Amino acid sequence: MVPAEKGTGRVKPAVARAHRGGMWAWLFQRITAALLIVCLAIHLLFTHILNIGQLGYENVAERLAHTSLTAVDIVLLAAGIYHALNGLRMVLLDYWFTSRGRARALAVALWVVGLALMVYGTWALWPWIT
Amino acid sequence: MKGLGRRKPRELANVGAGLWKATGMWAWLLFRISGLVLVLYLIAHIIVTSTARWGGEGETFDSVMQLFEKPVFVFLDLVLVVAVLYHALNGVRIMLMDCGVSTQRHKVLFWSAMAVVVICFAIFAWVSLTYIITGKGVTR
Repeated sequence: MVPAEKGTGRVKPAVARAHRGGMWAWLFQRITAALLIVCLAIHLLFTHILNIGQLGYENVAERLAHTSLTAVDIVLLAAGIYHALNGLRMVLLDYWFTSRGRARALAVALWVVGLALMVYGTWALWPWIT
Repeated sequence: MKGLGRRKPRELANVGAGLWKATGMWAWLLFRISGLVLVLYLIAHIIVTSTARWGGEGETFDSVMQLFEKPVFVFLDLVLVVAVLYHALNGVRIMLMDCGVSTQRHKVLFWSAMAVVVICFAIFAWVSLTYIITGKGVTR
C-alpha cells in the first residue's frame, strides 16, 4: 500500500476557499462598500475639492457644525474601519492564517484593533458630536 | 471576416499565455495592493486628523494641515486618489457582477469602470494641479 503524499488531504476545493471569510462578513463588506462610496464622495467634495488650500481647525470645525456632515464622518469612521480590517483579514487568510485557530485569533485581534480605532476616532470627533 | 477563422477559440485564448497575463488577475492584484495601501492610509488619517484634539484650540492640527497643503503632499494626494478610485470602481464592478451584470462580458465591464476612474481622476487632477500651480482653489 502506498502512503498518501503528505499534505494532499488538506487541499480544499476552490469554492470553499472563496467563501472562507464567512457569509455575514461578505455581506457587511458589500454594505460598507456602498456606504463608503456615497459618504467618501461627499467627504472628498466638501473637504478637499471645495476647500483645497483652506484646511485648518476653523475650516473643519465650520463644516462639522452641520449635523449631517458630522454624521457622514461617523459613518465613514465605522464603515471604513470595518471594511479596511475585514479586507485585511481576507488578504491575511490567504497567506498565513490558514488554520482555523489562527483565523479565529486573527479575527479577535482585528476586532480589538477596530474597536480601539472606533473609540479613538469617536473621541476625536466628540466636541462636534455633543 | 478575414482573419476571423484564424482566431483562437475563446476557451483556449489564454492557455499558455500564463496566469498573470489575464486582465482579471491584474484587476485582482491591484485591488489587493490598493486595498492594503488604503488600510494604512485610513489608520494614518484617523491619527493625523485626531490632532484636532491634542491640546490647544487646534494649534497642532493647523501646523499639520499647513504641512499637508504643501505642493508635494497635494501631489501625493493625487496618488492616493488613484488608489481610492481604482479600488472603488473595481469594487463596483465586483458588486455588479455579484448581481449578475455583464457576467458574459467581463472585460467590457472592467474597462467601463476604468473609464469612470479616468473621468473622476481628471476632476481631481484639475483641482489639485490648479492649486499646485496657482496656489488657489477652483471655487475661490
